[in-house]
Amino acid sequence: MSPRIELERVNKHFGPVHVINDVNLTVQEREFVVFLGQSGCGKTTTLRAIAGLETIDSGAIRIAGRAVQDTRPEERDIAFVFQSFALYPHLTVYENMAFPLRATRTPRDEVDRTVRRVAEVLQTSHLLKRRPSALSGGDLQRVAIGRALVRQPKAMLMDEPIGSLDAKLREEMRVELKRLHVEQGSTTIYVTHDQIEAMALADRIVVMHAGVLQQVGSPEEVYANPVNLFVAQFVGSPVMNVAEVSVTGQDGAARVTVAGAAEGFVFPAALIDRLSVAGAADKPLSLGIRPEALEITLAPQDGAIPVEAHLIEPLGSHDIVDLKMGPGFLRARTRAGLVPGPGTQVWVRADAGRAHFFDSGSGQSLGVRL
Amino acid sequence: MSPSSQAAGPALRSRGMSDLAIRNLFIIPTIVFLIVFNIFPLIYSLGYSFTDFRASTNEPARFVGLQNYRDLLSDPFIWRNFTITAKYVLVSVTGQVIVGFGIALLLNREIPFKGLLTTLLLLPMMLSMAVVGLFWKLLYDPSFGIINYALGLGTFEWLANPDVALYAIALVDIWMWSPFVMLLSLAGLSAVPKHLYEAAAIDRASGLYTFFRITLPLVAPILLIAIIFRTMEAFKTFDLAYILASQPTTEVISIRLYKMAFQEWQTGLSCAFAYIVLIMVLAITNIYVKYLNKVKER
Repeated sequence: MSPRIELERVNKHFGPVHVINDVNLTVQEREFVVFLGQSGCGKTTTLRAIAGLETIDSGAIRIAGRAVQDTRPEERDIAFVFQSFALYPHLTVYENMAFPLRATRTPRDEVDRTVRRVAEVLQTSHLLKRRPSALSGGDLQRVAIGRALVRQPKAMLMDEPIGSLDAKLREEMRVELKRLHVEQGSTTIYVTHDQIEAMALADRIVVMHAGVLQQVGSPEEVYANPVNLFVAQFVGSPVMNVAEVSVTGQDGAARVTVAGAAEGFVFPAALIDRLSVAGAADKPLSLGIRPEALEITLAPQDGAIPVEAHLIEPLGSHDIVDLKMGPGFLRARTRAGLVPGPGTQVWVRADAGRAHFFDSGSGQSLGVRL
Repeated sequence: MSPSSQAAGPALRSRGMSDLAIRNLFIIPTIVFLIVFNIFPLIYSLGYSFTDFRASTNEPARFVGLQNYRDLLSDPFIWRNFTITAKYVLVSVTGQVIVGFGIALLLNREIPFKGLLTTLLLLPMMLSMAVVGLFWKLLYDPSFGIINYALGLGTFEWLANPDVALYAIALVDIWMWSPFVMLLSLAGLSAVPKHLYEAAAIDRASGLYTFFRITLPLVAPILLIAIIFRTMEAFKTFDLAYILASQPTTEVISIRLYKMAFQEWQTGLSCAFAYIVLIMVLAITNIYVKYLNKVKER
């Protein structure tokens, strides 16, 4: 029932801007795929192109094997949840949800049954007689999803559907969306700029930047093995530390020194060989390391280098500590309250197994893992 | 100059006008003007409507109670004038709404020279009623008018034919005032958010379904305002009908009123007539406004 959605060499320009740049992607049946990227990266345009709300310049879009790039939205049988909800302001919640069914001349009693059943699922039964202007953000969103669900569409496309809600409600709705997808099982493409949302919801994440697909993979994959600096810094919160480094051999180990810093992190000696195999021996190199891969202790220990704690962000479950390193800072995640205050002398060690190396020039990952 | 306005002098230059200065300069003259030229005659004529006063004689006005109103409302000729007017209002306002809203729908999209086109379409509205009446009289002329020539109607009588004349006048009114309905409709149409049309397309609604279920209900309030204005105007239409034709079948109420007041000099009676018309227009407008409020609630 749920179709596969395929994009093949899709291109689109808005004047001189290449908004969708040669995008190839296959969304499997019943899969939940999230397009993730900054605003203006082309993710919404791509979604609208799949829905038929935008035309494309070249390439093919197939839904359930049928090429649809030249058809109108109404012929594609997909549901779309708009960021602005796009509820009909002059109709009640009931009429809004019944709209797609009435528009296709569904018998009256079937309309009634379906609307009430979907309202039940979304817990909006008590709102049916109200108008959108009398609803809260969360309820508006439920109704918008309800309107999409009533027709049991082949595919659901959602454009930042919870982007305009406040943080707490967003978290609730995220869970609800996940549950709905598990229950309904329709092929879903979801657009967001919020990487936490993407991680939480997606079977696969598609990271987009400047109209180009950067990486497609499961949330774990995208998080653990970012293919380039953009993905590395876009996915994960707080963002991955990235610093220009030099790598030297010393005492049977590799020393990875942040440009301008006095001392370098100790890495296994194998790093030097791996880097030269990757062809990065004499290219400028960047180290990428997530805050949780930096281990802080208050006392000196093997392989740790002394640094000064600069700022501390207490977040309840953990703290984020800024460490002065060369001209800049590295951010480390520590147990709450470990570092007593700014200016404390601490020792930091990098987890070599979770370090990433990028070609500073191209931004591509060198694929060197220890 | 009063001390207060002298004090307001420097302030006027430094941070705009004080409330007091605005009151003295604008509001008071306006109110005085309104009282002298609108409210006073309104009340004075209400007094006359209960008398047999004739402005053409020196005889003092004699109080006759509700006699004028009774005479008018039981006069079958007056009711004929009302019927003619109702027919005229219905035809001309309906025509204006259909033509005006239709043009607005056509203009509500990306087309080249849209601004220029809109301005040109507004031209009829900017002309003087009397001028419009005079040149349409020429256009309608049975022997050399361009309308008969273009339609190949020979010497068809538009304005001298008692069955056609009223509709010919309504047609001129439609030509002249459709742009007004168009302008308001255009404002209403462009206020409908684009994403609602996108949502309707996703919901697989046909063009016609979208028009009747989305476009029309959302434009209805502003369209109603246009209808209120045009109904009021059409109800008291005078110039066009007066200039174009003088048939008994084109004698709308304001022409009847004009004749009663300034040709027959029945001043008291015509005051009563004017009041009846006023109450009718108010009643009709009220119905619209009630409906408008109902539409706007949602």
